[in-house]
Amino acid sequence: MIKALLRGYRIALTALIAVGLLSSCSTSADSRYFGKTEPPAENILRYISGPEPEILDPQISDGQPEARIYMALFEGLVEYGPKDQQPIPALAKRWEISSKVDEFVFHLRDDAKWSDGKPITARDFVYSYRRGFDPKTISRTAQLGFFVKYSEAFKSGGVFVKKGDSYLLEKDFGATEHERAPQLGPETEHNKFMRSASRLVLDGDEKKRAKALAADPKLAEAVNGAELVPVKAEDIGVEAIDDRSVRITLRQSAPFFLGLLAHQFFRLVPEHVVEKHGKNWTRPQNIVTNGAFKVKEHRPYDALILEKDPNYWDAANVGLDGIHFYPIEELSTIMNLYKAGSIDAMLNHVVPSSWIGEIRQYKDEYLDFPEIALAYYSMNTQKAPFNDIKVRKAFIAGLDREALSSFRKITQPLYAISPTGTFPDYDKARDRVSEELRKEQGVAPEEWAKKGRFDRELAHKLLGEAGFPVVKKGDGWECPTFPTDTISITYNTNENNRAVAEFIQAQWKQNLGITVPLKTMEFKAFLPYMKGLEYSGFSQFLWSGDYMDPYSFLSLMYGPSNEGATGYYDPKFDKMLDEANSELDPIKRYDTLARAEFYLLDQAPVVPLTVNATNWLKKPYLKGMYPNPGTLIPWKFVYIERDPAKWDRDVSNIMTTPDARVDKHLADLVSSNSK
Amino acid sequence: MEEVEKTTAGTSLWSDAWKRLRRNKLAFVSLCFLAFMVVAVIAGPSIIFWTTGFTYESTPTDRALVRAFPPSLLHPMGTDDQGRDMLARVLQGGRVSLMVGIISTIVSLIVGVSYGAIAGYLGGKIDNIMMRIVDVIYAIPYILIVIVLLSVFGGASTPAWIKWLSTNIGGAQNQGLSQLFLLFFALGLVSWLTMARVVRGQILSLKNQDFVMAARATGVGTFGIIFRHLIPNALGPVVVYATLTIPSVMLTEAFLSFLGLGVQAPYASWGSLADIGIKNLAIYPWQLIFPGVTMALTLFALNFVGDGLRDALDPQTRKF
Amino acid sequence: MIPMALLVVSLTWGLIRIAPGNFYSTERKLPAAVEATIRAKYGLDDPWYKQYATMMSNVVRGDFGDSLKYQGQTVNEIIWRHLPYSATIGILAYLFALIVGLGAGTYAALKQNSILDFGPMSLAMFGLSIPNFVLAPVLVMIFAFWLYALPPARWGGFSSLILPVITLGAIYAAYIARLTRAGMLEVLRSDFIRTARAKGLNDRTVLLRHAFRGGILPVISFTGPALAALLAGTVVVEKVYALPGLGDIFIKAVLNRDEPLVLGIVAFLSILIMAFNLIVDISYGFLDPRIRYE
Repeated sequence: MIKALLRGYRIALTALIAVGLLSSCSTSADSRYFGKTEPPAENILRYISGPEPEILDPQISDGQPEARIYMALFEGLVEYGPKDQQPIPALAKRWEISSKVDEFVFHLRDDAKWSDGKPITARDFVYSYRRGFDPKTISRTAQLGFFVKYSEAFKSGGVFVKKGDSYLLEKDFGATEHERAPQLGPETEHNKFMRSASRLVLDGDEKKRAKALAADPKLAEAVNGAELVPVKAEDIGVEAIDDRSVRITLRQSAPFFLGLLAHQFFRLVPEHVVEKHGKNWTRPQNIVTNGAFKVKEHRPYDALILEKDPNYWDAANVGLDGIHFYPIEELSTIMNLYKAGSIDAMLNHVVPSSWIGEIRQYKDEYLDFPEIALAYYSMNTQKAPFNDIKVRKAFIAGLDREALSSFRKITQPLYAISPTGTFPDYDKARDRVSEELRKEQGVAPEEWAKKGRFDRELAHKLLGEAGFPVVKKGDGWECPTFPTDTISITYNTNENNRAVAEFIQAQWKQNLGITVPLKTMEFKAFLPYMKGLEYSGFSQFLWSGDYMDPYSFLSLMYGPSNEGATGYYDPKFDKMLDEANSELDPIKRYDTLARAEFYLLDQAPVVPLTVNATNWLKKPYLKGMYPNPGTLIPWKFVYIERDPAKWDRDVSNIMTTPDARVDKHLADLVSSNSK
Repeated sequence: MEEVEKTTAGTSLWSDAWKRLRRNKLAFVSLCFLAFMVVAVIAGPSIIFWTTGFTYESTPTDRALVRAFPPSLLHPMGTDDQGRDMLARVLQGGRVSLMVGIISTIVSLIVGVSYGAIAGYLGGKIDNIMMRIVDVIYAIPYILIVIVLLSVFGGASTPAWIKWLSTNIGGAQNQGLSQLFLLFFALGLVSWLTMARVVRGQILSLKNQDFVMAARATGVGTFGIIFRHLIPNALGPVVVYATLTIPSVMLTEAFLSFLGLGVQAPYASWGSLADIGIKNLAIYPWQLIFPGVTMALTLFALNFVGDGLRDALDPQTRKF
Repeated sequence: MIPMALLVVSLTWGLIRIAPGNFYSTERKLPAAVEATIRAKYGLDDPWYKQYATMMSNVVRGDFGDSLKYQGQTVNEIIWRHLPYSATIGILAYLFALIVGLGAGTYAALKQNSILDFGPMSLAMFGLSIPNFVLAPVLVMIFAFWLYALPPARWGGFSSLILPVITLGAIYAAYIARLTRAGMLEVLRSDFIRTARAKGLNDRTVLLRHAFRGGILPVISFTGPALAALLAGTVVVEKVYALPGLGDIFIKAVLNRDEPLVLGIVAFLSILIMAFNLIVDISYGFLDPRIRYE
């Protein structure tokens, strides 16, 4: 019987040892590539796009996985550039921008068609934008477009106030009127309306309006007896001048707006199909698209199969015959499929951190580039003890972020609010302003360099000043009075989030003697807990920029009910941002933004943690695909190279390595704008 | 005097069973192993702390040590990605896993066996209603139950008795542990259902046998028949099923940990350790092998003990 | 059965409403007006009893409406589209488990306490002791990367089903083996088998005609819920092998608070479970002459 017992154990042990041996085999990879590397038989890309897309309507959903699919199916006025994500011509072949960046005229190409052959006209844009801003459209991204004049008023069901023949104006009630740049294009009725002084907009909801009026007697007086006119779709700042020209008017200067126009929210939807099929228009049998590819078959949770669209205006230059998007989330499964050669590339953030060491040796495949995505820990500035800026600063100073990023292997430490490394010009502005501030405050350079960095003594001093003295205990520290039982580090459940939280917990324990409990929550329970400021202490906060501008991050703390989930609101900071955006010279604008950023940093509403890296793999035969900061790949540039001699080598240089095909394609497109 | 005690004791079901169990060497060795495991997870973490200073959550202060190291004399099971001692984590994880398994199984034994037996014996409409209740509870997704339990009782509004449990049994008053006890509760709530079905099936086949008729004829009440006559006769499958419940509950806990509804970091369970280990299998195999082997051996032993118990408790045991 | 399912649906509905979070929240804050539009569209500001009544009247008609997450797809459509995937894998896995489990269990019972008992039983215990999220990657490693014999993931052809079926079936095979062994031992000792033997029937007849029928009773009572669970898909296997089954969709629906989809799958499953249990109850009578229904 003992024999039998031993036998049972032996089976178990043999199997486990076999696993050990197996794994040691796989680590000693001696081949040049990770797994099977053969171009697919057909000229079709097989790509992992992340979770199953919610819907194929670019104006509804807000996820990155869908955004990547929309880039194949739908096009807007401009498209993200393959390498730097800066706007390149798409349906607009050229455009004019007013001197104050508050008005745009786009000239459309003549040969653009929907996948069913119907020509695309300026009216399609007017329809799409009005639909997006319509309060009836449940769009999660419409607020990105609120720079378009009166779009916010339309979306939130606001009303104009009409008294006699004229409307009440904003400037008469305390707002500063934006001074408009000289007009672009022909004068029309709509344009006259857009250029006239901004009308006052009140809340459409009676209760909310009454509340606002009660707070402002002057306003109540003026509104009394006036007619309330709901803001209509025609009132937003979008206009078809003729069949081939679209004019967009903004409420203020927005220097980054052109880049925003490549966002999924501004991609076209087909009026004739949406109006005919209603909510069913995105079904495979109904859907009509205008991108380089069209839907061939959709098997939810299995594959979304696209084929090249012959009606696409640039079809001659599209490199692939089709794309298969596979919706898979399990990281190890994605890695297995890649290794087996069943897929050619994948979305970002896929390689698990423990694998990085091994995967890095595949220099022709592993893409590790800075992203416009970063990680903070938000602090609830409304709950004690984190309502005390000294406590907040102590926790920032008590965290060694160099150690954190070396532990994570794929991230860079972050000491600012917006990412470093992705906006080179802004990085320069930040250095300039930092130097100016140092001189203003008369601090020695070596002292200044330490600002915001890991500094245990400073952390102890700040905690002591805040009433929580840190005392020596054995080899470590202890802070007995700090109320650890009421605070926590809250994060939504995810392998990486857990590793980061455990690491930071250990850091604070070692450096400050404070053990902050961890609290993991599933995502949907986490969101209201974080956004509703129910948490106390720290909350995980991950953000990716919506456009290539630091404002996409700085605006997280803009306004009284901002996205930042910290409870922090400072009109002074808002004013600095407004000033920056009304600045027309890009260099001066960046300087002003940088000043605002340093101001915010000094207020310490968040613990900046890390800047993310792209962290994905592509097979070397896949060309024209670049690790841009948002992993937003314009699919028409991608092609499969069958000659191994021309495959990608050492992709750390991929951004600067010339590719005749892509470079020419890009040059041709960009040159249309200068004609 | 001693002699007398022995003989009287020998006639009772349990001491008889104990004798038989001891004769079953396989089961006995497994029982010893389990006893060793229990002692190890209770005393082990303290011993490690006294001798080396490692705990399940202590990350080395030296930045260079914050990474995975293979097994060595200092770390017999190696370290995890954060440089924490795997042995300490495996032992602490064992505490959680064994507690999850045992508490839920006890609940399933007490509730499931009595429920199934009563339903099976009474039969008819009552049986029908009772089993339909089981069906209804069975059909409600337990993830939803766990989510709701954690949100309603987690955090500040944790009931006092859960706080009491985590303070007095878990050894620390802390949010992570409170959540753990909620988890025991949630798993216990669903783990008795299959047991009830199994027991009912057994009772249905036993209740018309002669010994029940005889008992009824001699005036034994319903309660007596169920608990003195029927249940002991149905113990075989019950014990086997109970030993199956422990691993399945442990696996459920691992799955819930995976969804973020299980044990809170930096606490670990064998399931959550294996879940992390399997992801690192190709790079740091020891992170899977040690928790995996420990868990597998424990479950092995549990199963052998279950078999032994079944044989020992069976009143009809004899060589076939 | 239908009232039971409605009760399950009602309780589930209550649980979803108590659970924190809602289907429309994401990292990005929604403008108040958009949120108001959503709440108005789905009647979320109505009193709860009115929302409950609306939901129930739809459910009674078998119409669960559209998924909230996958807008434009109906719940019924999603269930019927993904059921075949789950059913194929589930039924194959259960067949695998039945063949292996019944064989090993019976064999072990007949050779009780011999090496031929402990061999298969140790193996069964081994199957029980390995979580399937550990077994799956190990199998993938061996068969997809070591032997290059089978694909590592995704649906497509018979070869892609082998690993998921083994992964899913292993634990059930182990359960069945152990339940069969226990049940068989119980029966082999009972009086009617002794009678059968005394009548001079040979071992094979005793085994197949009498003992087996009674011995697999515990297996039968286990089969109902097990088969229902298998048909509903198994999350881990679907995740690891990237299969479009119902289990993963269901977990995601719960995590997304996709109420109609959760209710639809729960209603479907509860009917399935109850149907299976009913079949199990009826088959008891046929299999075991000792059971009589009053």
